[in-house]
Formats: sequence, structure tokens, C-alpha cells
Amino acid sequence: MAVFINDTSTVKNTSYKVVIPFYVYAAISFLVATILLFFSGEDFTQHYFQPHILAVTHTMALGWGTMIILGASYQLVPVLIEAELFSNVLAYASFILAGTGIPLLIYSLYFFQFTWTALAGAICINAAILAYVINLAVSISKSKTENVHATFAFTASLWLFITTLIGLLLVCNFQHTILPEASVHYLSLHAHIGIVGWFLLLIIGVGSRLIPMFLISKYDTPKRLWLIYYLLNISLLTFIIFFFSVTQSIYYLIPLIVLLAALVLFIIFCRKAYQQRIRKKVDEQMKLSLLSVIMVLLPVFILLVLIVLLFFTVVNVQLVMVYGFTIFFGWITAIIFGMTFKTLPFIVWNKIYHAKAGNTKTPNPKDLFNATLFTAMGWSYLCGFGLFVAGIMAANIFLLQTATVLLLITAVLYNWNVLKMLMHKPAKL
Amino acid sequence: MNEVITNNDVQCTTALAALHNIIDPEIGLNIVDLGLIYQIDFDETAKEIFMSMTLTTQYCPMGASIKDGAERVLQHAFPQYTIHLQLLFDPPWRPSRISEEGQAFLNRY
Repeated sequence: MAVFINDTSTVKNTSYKVVIPFYVYAAISFLVATILLFFSGEDFTQHYFQPHILAVTHTMALGWGTMIILGASYQLVPVLIEAELFSNVLAYASFILAGTGIPLLIYSLYFFQFTWTALAGAICINAAILAYVINLAVSISKSKTENVHATFAFTASLWLFITTLIGLLLVCNFQHTILPEASVHYLSLHAHIGIVGWFLLLIIGVGSRLIPMFLISKYDTPKRLWLIYYLLNISLLTFIIFFFSVTQSIYYLIPLIVLLAALVLFIIFCRKAYQQRIRKKVDEQMKLSLLSVIMVLLPVFILLVLIVLLFFTVVNVQLVMVYGFTIFFGWITAIIFGMTFKTLPFIVWNKIYHAKAGNTKTPNPKDLFNATLFTAMGWSYLCGFGLFVAGIMAANIFLLQTATVLLLITAVLYNWNVLKMLMHKPAKL
Repeated sequence: MNEVITNNDVQCTTALAALHNIIDPEIGLNIVDLGLIYQIDFDETAKEIFMSMTLTTQYCPMGASIKDGAERVLQHAFPQYTIHLQLLFDPPWRPSRISEEGQAFLNRY
């Protein structure tokens, strides 16, 4: 039976005015994070639980990773759920609240002052995420189709809210003791719910839709994706149960093996989508996105080593820092690089050339950014990333400082290219 | 296989030639070879064109641009006609709808 849809809502998408502020905020946050890193290189030769490292981590996790994912998901959720985004107002509210809360929290972490700034920051961030969850929930409830990608996205948003709620409790616990243990005890719980529940679940859920779409692949297997979804959630739930019930670190191998199984299945999914692609040439942005899928294995193997070492009561502080660094500056940053230059050119193109399609020859969206700058950014990033990891492991300040300069250059080049896209003037047609 | 249903082969050829100018900006391929056009019917008495087409994905961010562009080039090619354009998502678009020319293009780029 043929279904005809003749109203304009079927092609009505989230306005660029909602999405672009998130991209801008994220780009500035990445620059700020690399500046903070530049001034904190020496801290990475010591313990990981200290103000500057906490500030850099939260700038990366919230200002960079979460803000760009929130923005991109406002654009992509309608594609995933095949329905319109419920509210632009809620999306703006989430931007204003998170945009205000993040600097307040990072300021508090950097100077380790848990006064009203930390509390106000954490409350604003929680309110922003609540607005996001409500927006997603109502949008999905209005969708006529149920699909695995939407389930991934919504579950991820719930885990994000749990993460920020724990963050708020930890901030309160710094001021007045409200939890049985000190805040540092709950850091791994807070971090792993955020990393696996939010970042991993959302990136796999959205990536499993976008990667075959951009490659124009014939590969489509929701059953495997459902299996990955269940494995990821079982892994996280098992971790949470063990966190509150067991003392021996070796038990954590169980959730880790379940997580590894989910990742291997996702890598197989990406490989098959790649093999069955119709579009033969794969652009640089897609290559970087596919590379990030492999890069996710690096922190998983480091975690495996950490758990085994913990069994022998050895805590390798350097390896813990490398673990965090490979997640935020490795996997998450690589996928954001790839996807920024895959999605933002289209958002800008749509804004400028929407009414000109078919009139005459319009420029290609990929021509809106500078490919040479992109390649330079990629090399500077890979060198900076590799050197920083080596610097942490060797506790070598020279390596760390050199790496921070390269990462700062990476952030400048990224911001330059983002700005170039946003400042694009319509070509004379 | 990309087949466009029509009640007027001659007019349909003109319409498809016009629609060749609409390029999917992400893929770089025109919407005819991409297989987005399902049906074009002509009512010569009432001077009306009824076209049904799809998008590679529902709520495609480029959807409005592609749909409006298709409407615009058809109107330009048939100025005397009223254009009725419908989006159809059942059956959904599949990569198998890409024409041989489209496949060859995607093998090169």
C-alpha cells in the first residue's frame, strides 16, 4: 500500500538556529580545554585526583562532548525517530542552562572551591539535561515507528541525567557530608555511567544509523543492534551492582567482558556496512569517524590491565590518566572531528542555499570548509595525542608540554575551520 | 532498479531531464539516478502534473531543499502546468533504487 504524505511537516527539520549555538559552544570549549591542558601539563606527572585535571576532564566531557552531541542530536533525532523534535524552546533552554552551568562548575573544579558556583553550576547542568530528556521523550512518544536507534538515544539521555544527578550529589557532598563515603570514592561510578551510559550508548545508537547512511550501505540489521543495546546496558548495570556490593576488583572483569562483546559486535557491524557500501570513495571525515570506532578499544584494553593490576593491589596512576585521556581526547574527540565536518557543512549549506537548489549550480557542502586545514588538524591531533600518552607514561614534562602545544594547534585549526563554515557567504550564482 | 511510473512517456522524459538538475548535496548524485522519483502523471486537460517522490530517509535534513528544488525545476520546465508534489515513504527508499548510471558515478566518486 502506498502512503502519501503531502504536508510540509515531513520535511520540516530542526532549525539551524537551535543547532549551531551548540557547535560554537563546543568548539570554544575544546579550545579552552587545550589551553587548560597547556597550563596543566605538569599535573599529569602526579595523581589524577586534582583540581586542574578534574577541570580539563569536565571541560572535555561537558563543554566539548556533551554540548556538541546535544546540538547534533537535536538535528538528528528527527531522522532517527522519524518525527519532528517536540520543542525548540526546550532545546534553547537546555543550551542556556548548560551553557551557564558548565563554566561555573569548571571554575569551581579548577580552583577547587565548592561554594555557590559549584552548586549553581551543577543545578543548571541538571536542569539542562532534564529539558533534553523531556524533549526527547515527548518527541519519541509522538513518533509512529519504534526503532532501535531511538531507543539507544533515549536510554542514553536517561543515563546522562543519572550521571549529572550523581555529579550534583558529589558537589553537595563536598560541602556537607551527605553520602556514606568521600566524593572521590564515587568518581568511578559517576565517570563510567557517563562514559558507557551516555557517550557509548548514544554514539553507537546514532553511529549505527549514520555510518551506513553516509556510506550508502545495503547493510541493515536491527537484530544485531538490539543485542549490542542489551549487552551495553547489562554491562553497566552489572558494574553498578558490583560497585555497591563487591570489594574484589576481579569481579569487574564480568561487565568489562560484556562491554567488549558489545564493542566487537559494533565493530563487525561497521565493517559489514563498509564492505557493503555502494559509494566506493570514503572521505576523510568518514575515515576519522571509522578510526574512532577502533580507538574505543584502546581504553577498554587499558581498563582490562587496570583491573588485573588492582587484583594484585597495584594502582598504576599513570595508566588511570592514560585511560581517561584516551576516552576524552582519543575516542570522543576523534568521532567529534569526523562528524563535525560531516554534519555542520550541511547545516550551513541548508541555511544558505536551501532556496537555491536546482536554480543553478550551488557549491558542494564539503567545499564550505578547508580540506587542507582539516588534514593539518588531523595530523597535529594524532601526533599530540600519541605524544601526550607517551608523556604521561614516562612522566616526562617535555613530552607533555610538546603534546599540549600540538593539541592547542589542533583546537585552533578546528575552530578556524568551524568559523570558516559559519562565516560562509553565499556564492554568486 | 530505478523505474518511474508515468502515463505520458514523452512528457516524463522532459520532466526527468529537468529533475536531473537537482543534486542530493550529501551524495553528489542527481535525484533521478538516485531513484527518488516514483511516479509522474500528467493531466493534459487540466494542465496538472502529479509527482510522487521519496527521500533517502524521512526527516532528511536536506529534504525540504530537495523537494522545493524539484518543484521549482518542474515549474520552470512546465510553466503552464500546476505542480502537485507528494512525498511517499512506503515503500521506503533503498540503495537498490540507484540507477546503473548512478552506481557508476558512485564507483568513481
